[in-house]
Amino acid sequence: MEPQQSFSDFLQQESGKLLEQTLQHIGLTFISLLIAVLIGLPLGILITRRKKLAGLVLGIAGILQTIPSIALLGFMIPLLGIGAKPAIVALFLYALLPIIRNTYTGINEVNPSVTDAAVGMGMNRKQLLYRIQLPLAMPVILAGIRTATVINVGVATLAAYIAAGGLGEFIFGGIALNNTNMILAGAIPAALLAVLFDGLLSLLQRIQLRKARKAVYVLPVALLLLSSFYLLPPAYGSRLLAGFTPEFMGRRDGDLGLRAVYGLQIRTVVINDMIMYKAAYEKKIDVISGSSTDGRVKAFDLAVLDDDKHIFPPYYAAPIVRQSTLDKYPELEPALNKLSGTINDSIMTELNYRVDHLKQDPARVAKDFLVAKQLWKPARGGTKGTIRIGSKIFGDGYILANMYKMLVDGYTDLQAITKTGLGGTKICFDALLNDQIDLYPEYTGTGLLVILQAPQPTIDSLIGYKQKVYDHVSRAFLQQYGIKWLNPIGFNNTYALMMRRQQAATLNIRSISDLKEYLER
Amino acid sequence: MIKLEHVYKYFSQNKAAVADVSFEVRPGEILVLLGTSGSGKTTTLRMINRLEEPDKGNIYVNGKLTRDQSPEQLRRGIGYVLQDNGLFPHYTVAENIAVVPRLLEWEEERIDQRTNILMEKLHLPPAEYRDAYPNRLSGGQQQRVGLARALAADPPILLMDEPFGALDPVTRASVRNEFRALDELNNKTVILVTHDVTEAFELGDRIGLMDQGVLQQLGTPAELLFTPANDFVRAFFKDQHLLLELKSLSLADLKPYLPPTAETDHYQPHVLPGTISAWDALQRTMGIEGVISVDFRTEVYTMDSRSLMTALSVYKQTAQAHGTTTKL
Repeated sequence: MEPQQSFSDFLQQESGKLLEQTLQHIGLTFISLLIAVLIGLPLGILITRRKKLAGLVLGIAGILQTIPSIALLGFMIPLLGIGAKPAIVALFLYALLPIIRNTYTGINEVNPSVTDAAVGMGMNRKQLLYRIQLPLAMPVILAGIRTATVINVGVATLAAYIAAGGLGEFIFGGIALNNTNMILAGAIPAALLAVLFDGLLSLLQRIQLRKARKAVYVLPVALLLLSSFYLLPPAYGSRLLAGFTPEFMGRRDGDLGLRAVYGLQIRTVVINDMIMYKAAYEKKIDVISGSSTDGRVKAFDLAVLDDDKHIFPPYYAAPIVRQSTLDKYPELEPALNKLSGTINDSIMTELNYRVDHLKQDPARVAKDFLVAKQLWKPARGGTKGTIRIGSKIFGDGYILANMYKMLVDGYTDLQAITKTGLGGTKICFDALLNDQIDLYPEYTGTGLLVILQAPQPTIDSLIGYKQKVYDHVSRAFLQQYGIKWLNPIGFNNTYALMMRRQQAATLNIRSISDLKEYLER
Repeated sequence: MIKLEHVYKYFSQNKAAVADVSFEVRPGEILVLLGTSGSGKTTTLRMINRLEEPDKGNIYVNGKLTRDQSPEQLRRGIGYVLQDNGLFPHYTVAENIAVVPRLLEWEEERIDQRTNILMEKLHLPPAEYRDAYPNRLSGGQQQRVGLARALAADPPILLMDEPFGALDPVTRASVRNEFRALDELNNKTVILVTHDVTEAFELGDRIGLMDQGVLQQLGTPAELLFTPANDFVRAFFKDQHLLLELKSLSLADLKPYLPPTAETDHYQPHVLPGTISAWDALQRTMGIEGVISVDFRTEVYTMDSRSLMTALSVYKQTAQAHGTTTKL
């Protein structure tokens, strides 16, 4: 195994990216905060004058606050697409409540005899607001802005799901790649930003009342300045826009390989797997890092680009099982191997299409397939033992886990239960290693690169050959972890670059090399 | 100067907070609105500078209907002092005092001069207090700043809502004395709201006694005491009647009932001016053997405490017999 890279090495190596993500993060946080202040403050002032509106406005802002952040981002996509816009709007909505509420409270809590005196002296509404109410409410309003800032720094990590950048790229990339350094490189700066801005604002809050009058002017300037970070021009531009998952961005058989082997330079945004295909279909992005058997390839009429220099290793799926479980129940292995060789790429894509796009139940799709292949048998209702089948949250996993459950139930006296939706590779594999599940379907390429983290020379020597990769991971898994790779199922769910079929045809791009040529033209 | 005509104010539909109040305040006069809490005195005051709008009736300031004037312009010409001073906590003492002159866009130099003069007069040395924030001042000092702020633009009219109400009795008495001695108040028309009977009698040229939104009686302190308009007025002063009588009458008022002096040529060591109140005169006779001279400018009387009290009781009998409300 390659020696673990130290955290400081990682930071050094990725310092450019770290800086860019941090600036984006600050920018996202403060653009949305700025908008929230621009709208929340007047709204807060308005409801101090129209008390009847107060309940309504605070109620709506409160409801917005309770929507889970991922869901809110999800709602934004159909309305605003992907990228900065929906992220800023979502963050803005989160920042709104504390600002409106504190403005309202702050102004209402100004000593009534002070406002009475001000009005009695002959101040008009505007003078009262600017000279008395806002300065005196400023500590409370600042507390609201402070809360909103901390919320925004946190929620802004999720912006990486919808191609808006920020430190979430490292965090989610790190989770996907099982790379602790990468997770920390995102999480620590994000936490530091929250602490830093919280501290700065609390300082501002504690400043003498007199100076608080000046804070009224300092704040917007600071907000504008920090917001502008997001608008710093990207390092390079290109005619097409790529959207890659955080995982793909950090992989040697991903973006790194595209740059190293193909020399591909393309403007790239990071985007969540869930929305990547749709975003490509809706022409928000042009090139995506899909997986070749995904049902959405069919649903959204995408064309897979030929990997003519073989940077994507084979990702043949096979169940991996704890050896201890196989020793205990020898009948398990032949039952699981019934699926071997039955599903090729196009069948898997079709099955995924039915689940992902036609929204059919994975269990039904699995059963239909087994029945068609004459592999299905009714469950025996066995009581000999329990087999826990896990899967990742991707389409393949759900369907395969259901098929394995039916095979175990039908061909053995064991009873199978499924634990699907175990997140990414790291979570599934840890569950298997720690005896929380007995088996789950894994891909040979993932085993080699993500779990074993094989050194580069080993990878280079194996990568073109599907059998060599399978043999290598089988051997290594059994030795290192006591986990056995059963026979491959047949399909190769590899990474692939894909484009809209029509655009690829128009631009005459069939392979990744074609794409590179087009971009350099 | 200030005139109210049949003014009504309702905060709820069936009960008037102020009902059919009419009075006129003469230039240079101090009118005290006296009453318990809820009597409508503060509401009446706040309608004059339009902090409340009357539901019915007319209010004139300087001969013009207040509702025809812009409220801000109207208020900038009327000094306003509140019970808990309402100083702006984020303004220094000097800035607090300068609020109205700034609203009136005076030149900074003029504002500075005016602020310093007022601070001197109110015993707040500018060097020490100009840049202090209100929370550093004592209650009495804060109230003086409040008064200075109301006087800053030298408005002809001053509205004071329980101006000494938040102070402890000792401080209250001293601030009140300062207030009485303040030359800035010469020629100012003042309406002062209080629930403190002694304060009303000490400060008021005339007193309007209010109860349940209705002005029960308006007159000089002596008129309220000696010819009360109704039972409420009579009952209101019952507890402190003698004290108030002594405070409300000057020796000059009692002069007709003091025994005439036989001889004016022999020397008396103690001489009082005829303008002081009977209360003050009585205090001065304490511990003095024999008689005291009273100097009425044209003539000199002698009296002692017994003859003063006798004069008071004759005054009261005469007042009740006549039934008039004019000073005899």
